[in-house]
Amino acid sequence: GAEAFLPAPQNISILSTNMKHFLTWSPVIVQGATVRYSVEFQGEYEREHANESWIPISECSLTTATVCNLTEDISASVPYRLRVRARLGATSSPWGTLTGFFNRVTTSLTPPVLKVVADGHHLLVELADMGPSFQFRVLYWKKGQASRVKHKVLREVSSVVHLDTMEAGAEYCVRAQAHVEAINRSSSFSPTQCVRARGDTSLW
Amino acid sequence: SGELYCSLPNPRNVRFESVNMKNVLHWSAPEGTGDGVLYKVKYSVYGVGKWIRKPECRNINRTWCDLSSETSDYEEQYYASVKAFLNGMCSDWMETTRFNPLTDTKIDPPMVSVSSTDKSLSITLTAPEKWKRSPEEESISLLQVYPGLQYNVSVLNKKTKKRWFFSISNNTLVVPWLEPGTAYCVSAQIHVTTPLLDSDFSKEHCIATLKDK
Amino acid sequence: KIFHLGACRVSMSTAEIRAGFTAIKANIQSRDPIRTLSILSHPQSLHKVKSSDRCCVAHHLFTFYVDKVFKHCRTEDSFVNRKISSIANSFLSVRRKLGQCHEQNNCVCGEESTEKFKQILANYEGLNVTSAAMKSLGELDILLDWMEKSQ
Repeated sequence: GAEAFLPAPQNISILSTNMKHFLTWSPVIVQGATVRYSVEFQGEYEREHANESWIPISECSLTTATVCNLTEDISASVPYRLRVRARLGATSSPWGTLTGFFNRVTTSLTPPVLKVVADGHHLLVELADMGPSFQFRVLYWKKGQASRVKHKVLREVSSVVHLDTMEAGAEYCVRAQAHVEAINRSSSFSPTQCVRARGDTSLW
Repeated sequence: SGELYCSLPNPRNVRFESVNMKNVLHWSAPEGTGDGVLYKVKYSVYGVGKWIRKPECRNINRTWCDLSSETSDYEEQYYASVKAFLNGMCSDWMETTRFNPLTDTKIDPPMVSVSSTDKSLSITLTAPEKWKRSPEEESISLLQVYPGLQYNVSVLNKKTKKRWFFSISNNTLVVPWLEPGTAYCVSAQIHVTTPLLDSDFSKEHCIATLKDK
Repeated sequence: KIFHLGACRVSMSTAEIRAGFTAIKANIQSRDPIRTLSILSHPQSLHKVKSSDRCCVAHHLFTFYVDKVFKHCRTEDSFVNRKISSIANSFLSVRRKLGQCHEQNNCVCGEESTEKFKQILANYEGLNVTSAAMKSLGELDILLDWMEKSQ
């Protein structure tokens, strides 16, 4: 019957954005039955030094979902192999293995979400948190003086961060890119945003 | 032969509590024992073959023992152990987990001093010092112990309720172009990236900028 | 982060290794009942390695962990095994960077550092392999504390 043979999951692929990595696959359809899946990974260490062993991911063992969060386990910049199989009752399908390897250095990095604020003579930025792996390289300059760009590296982005003070009435522009030290890569820059300092030199 | 019969319940939750590498052994009294329990303490350097008794913590009735002096070399790791005595009975020796002063200490917030003019605040931060045996002993700033140490500084405008954050590596910060005659509250935190150690934020130091001349 | 290991300048991050180790430190160290022996810190301390020898000792140690230690640290705990895997794979990355220094001949092994590494191996061989491996894994913070002094 249906339990005699269970096909391996197909269309296995990785979605990796901003250092968050997910394995996805197409569901194995068995009418009237709930198919479950188990995922395992194998790093370069396991291949080269541990008899090509595979390591199960407990959060994705006998799961009904067709997606598995690998982020915690893919935490080294080496090539990994990934596989998933289906399970129905006592029957397991063959392993479906991701074609090729996955290395987190290939994760796609999106520009940071940046908000620039002028508060009197003070240039401030707010950056959306992108996770523990990220720091931000913020470039800022007085409009018209693009040759005199200043930059700051921000690690902790809990809230409004002070960049610099601005000359009265002048317009300042800011843009930022995300940087991941662990893979030594950066995102593209966010769109430039410009704000104007309070005009009067008497401050208030 | 006065051989003690070790069936007394054991001291519980034996652990180091460390702040700025002032390393104090703490424990809880054995379950169900009232007053009168005495304790003795020993410690060992991990990897070295012997336990060393702490004379000042022999037959004590308190439930802590300062081992800062014995564990001041933060390039070593340590164990400590406590035994309880009551009415001729004793407990087993109860050990801590392995204690690494460098990673297992808690860091106090920095000292914050703030001065102001009518338009600016000058903030000076001082990292806490590593525990030392006596005031005469040479001070070691935690900045020397953790070279990657940084400061996160929060400046709150009490009028607008807007809070700004600064992340700095050196210990001084000048915030110019402020509102005259306005109260600002400053607090700061120490951040060490690796080993990952964050102090709490210091209590707020509030100061008003001078009124406009 | 830039690590200055003797003549070697290596850009790498130990934060992830440190985080992985911190997550399993109590579990791993509780499996090591031997208080009186250390693989890395006694009788000779890593902290006494001359700065010129740091690269060589570091490269030897990362190779030691990859070749000898991690494979004997499998436990019955899936979470611990996964953290060991991520540490082991991170060690491969770091060792590769240290290896680049070797190729550029910036990683000179002095007599003193060779002697020290022999002592570490002797400490390791003095125990049965599982105990030695688990003890070495439990001493990862000793290695990291020493490495991070070079930042």
